[in-house]
Amino acid sequence: METIILKFAASARATGMRISTAEVLTCLEMVPHVGILDEAQFKTVLRSNFAKSRLEQARFDHLYPLFFHELREDLDAGSMEIADHLETLRREISEVDPPMQAMTALAEFVSGEPQAYLTMLQEMRSEGQTQGDGPGGKGSNLGGLVRRLPILRSIQRARETAMAFLDDNWRDIHWETRKELKQHLERRLATAQRMLAENNPPGLIPLEKKGPAPGLHGELGDIPFANLSPGEIVRLRDVIAKLTRKLRDMSTRRYAARSRGVPDIKRTLRAATRTQGIPLQLKYREKPPRKGRIVVFCDVSGSVWSSAKFMLTVLYALQDCFDRVKSFVFVDEPINVTHFFDDFEIDRALAEILDCPDINYAASTDYGRMLRLFKTRHLDIINKKTTVIMIGDGRSNYCNPEEDRLEMIRDRSRRLLWINPENEKFWHSGDCEMAAYEPLCNEVRHVENLNQLAAFIREIVL
Amino acid sequence: MSFNDVEDARKTLEASGYVATTEIATVVFLAAASEKPLLVEGPAGVGKTELAKALCSGLNRELIRLQCYEGLDEAKALYEWEYAKQLLYTQIVRDKISDVVAGAKTLTEAVDKISDQSDAFFSERFLLPRPLLQAISSPEPVVLLIDEVDKSDPEFEAFLLELLSDFQITIPELGTRRAVHKPFVLLTSNGFRDMSDALKRRCLHLYIDYPGPETEREIVRRRIPDLSDHLAEQMVLAMERIRRLDLKKKPSISETIDWAHALINLRMESLSKEAVLSTLNVICKYREDKEQVQQNVDQVVNFG
Repeated sequence: METIILKFAASARATGMRISTAEVLTCLEMVPHVGILDEAQFKTVLRSNFAKSRLEQARFDHLYPLFFHELREDLDAGSMEIADHLETLRREISEVDPPMQAMTALAEFVSGEPQAYLTMLQEMRSEGQTQGDGPGGKGSNLGGLVRRLPILRSIQRARETAMAFLDDNWRDIHWETRKELKQHLERRLATAQRMLAENNPPGLIPLEKKGPAPGLHGELGDIPFANLSPGEIVRLRDVIAKLTRKLRDMSTRRYAARSRGVPDIKRTLRAATRTQGIPLQLKYREKPPRKGRIVVFCDVSGSVWSSAKFMLTVLYALQDCFDRVKSFVFVDEPINVTHFFDDFEIDRALAEILDCPDINYAASTDYGRMLRLFKTRHLDIINKKTTVIMIGDGRSNYCNPEEDRLEMIRDRSRRLLWINPENEKFWHSGDCEMAAYEPLCNEVRHVENLNQLAAFIREIVL
Repeated sequence: MSFNDVEDARKTLEASGYVATTEIATVVFLAAASEKPLLVEGPAGVGKTELAKALCSGLNRELIRLQCYEGLDEAKALYEWEYAKQLLYTQIVRDKISDVVAGAKTLTEAVDKISDQSDAFFSERFLLPRPLLQAISSPEPVVLLIDEVDKSDPEFEAFLLELLSDFQITIPELGTRRAVHKPFVLLTSNGFRDMSDALKRRCLHLYIDYPGPETEREIVRRRIPDLSDHLAEQMVLAMERIRRLDLKKKPSISETIDWAHALINLRMESLSKEAVLSTLNVICKYREDKEQVQQNVDQVVNFG
């Protein structure tokens, strides 16, 4: 049992779950308490020790039946003969001539060791670019398909090798064993093929999905930012100014109330030494208001920018309420534009951003590349006090979404919020990669008008 | 060990009025057997805090609760020196202090003599224990509930690590305090933010989701014995349909129980469209959610 649990932990790590040795040890200590005969209890022991977030639980629930049922059940204790043949076949598959990618991993998978195959699939999904492309090369989500093809060919080759093995040895293997072996191989290779075709573990849902916002700003509040007329934009700016003023006041009052009323005895006594021990001046605890750090990513492609600029306007108008706001805009590369907002007033800063020569507006939007470059260049600015806000429609021109980089950002940050100005019903169509990003976010919102924006801002400020 | 097996854990919880699934009972049993803290996550109102209360009642232990919030610090969670009391005592024993320093020839000697007595002022007598210190100093085993730990700051989370792994707390003036009895520690979280890997690794993890219809029916029957089977059946079915709507805040078990109380008080025998509409305030906490349920009320009460 110990070996199986260790192998399961290794396979789970290969799917991206973070399992420490301490957790494996605790799990091994706990298994004898419940035994292995009651599967529900056994599964709970593994789940409570290995899967410690919703995301990991979905991965666990996906892996568990594969590892303990699909790869185990078809080999019962009486199939020792099959096990011998499988060992021979494992060698034959891994040594095919000419050598093919993935054959060793596939050979191990067929003989019941899924770890190498799972690692390979994980790497395949997270690779930013197809092999051979330079760093500036264009990652494409067709790359995912391209990377699947050699593995698919390897599965086909493994199938041919297995059938050839059965044909070559038809005299030596009893017909019943041969039939059983053939069924077993077909099942395993079909499983391998199914896993290759899958993207994310199914059943993942974002932690929170916010619904429609209350309409506090009348008719103007319901008009999508992209459809505003010049006159409406002017009116909207006035409403935004009022809204930000109100929120700033509320936030100030809240912090003022929080830091008032708790006497600091140590400081009072220290001050009292000046007046011969008589506490003439009472000192209060001055807790600096705990303000969040915000890092905003803004997609500057046409449809998104019309909403994003209002979002940036509000965030920067409220920057007193936050410890620090840092902003990045991107098409296919993250560009730090915080200094524009530090140097100029908001409208000028937005205009300057549009003229910024560093931003390649001619490039195709590529969320995957942006996330990869952000990870390389700026990941250190994100810590557990940072709320990351991503403003974008997730349309990545069929480039590889590289969602594992977003997961890394989420792991390092306090919260990851995604604001999508596009209507939710289009999120899973065309080149939109929301299906890959959505499960990784703490919260996903559709924000396309003032009412929705105001509701969102109110929640992050207060 | 507090429980003999998983079944024993389930029965103990059930005896305290908590309907536990096999998963909940197994994890509770394992946490008790291995003396590891239990991190319980799930939406608001599914019974995370209730689990701690049921454990207290089932194990006959005292519940010590620490409610977490942004800005919670050691002074509120662990201990605080009672400076006012120390000051008062200093004034009262001023004459005695004069006696202590009486023979001193130099100022240094006087300070040395005073510092020899500093233990008297930094002792248990002047220590104000807060929930965490209370939990580990308690002469009887207790259940320690660290509620909504996700609302606390990362600094506080880091500070919890020593307690959760070694069940000890270090007080600089007094040294390290080990737990007299290891408390049964439950941490709850609504998933507002992810907890750190370091904290998660020290805990067993349990996710409590909205209950299935069978479990919910069982909970409602146990909590409200006056409710007729017919009405309970309809309520649970309606609640399941309401949760399937795209709501801002899905109603949880606590709302189901409140709803049942409301229906009993209104002397409703069955769940009609009018009954749902007149009690919507109990189930939905947002205006938009109420509107959604109002729009779909025919489907909600369609019991064939």
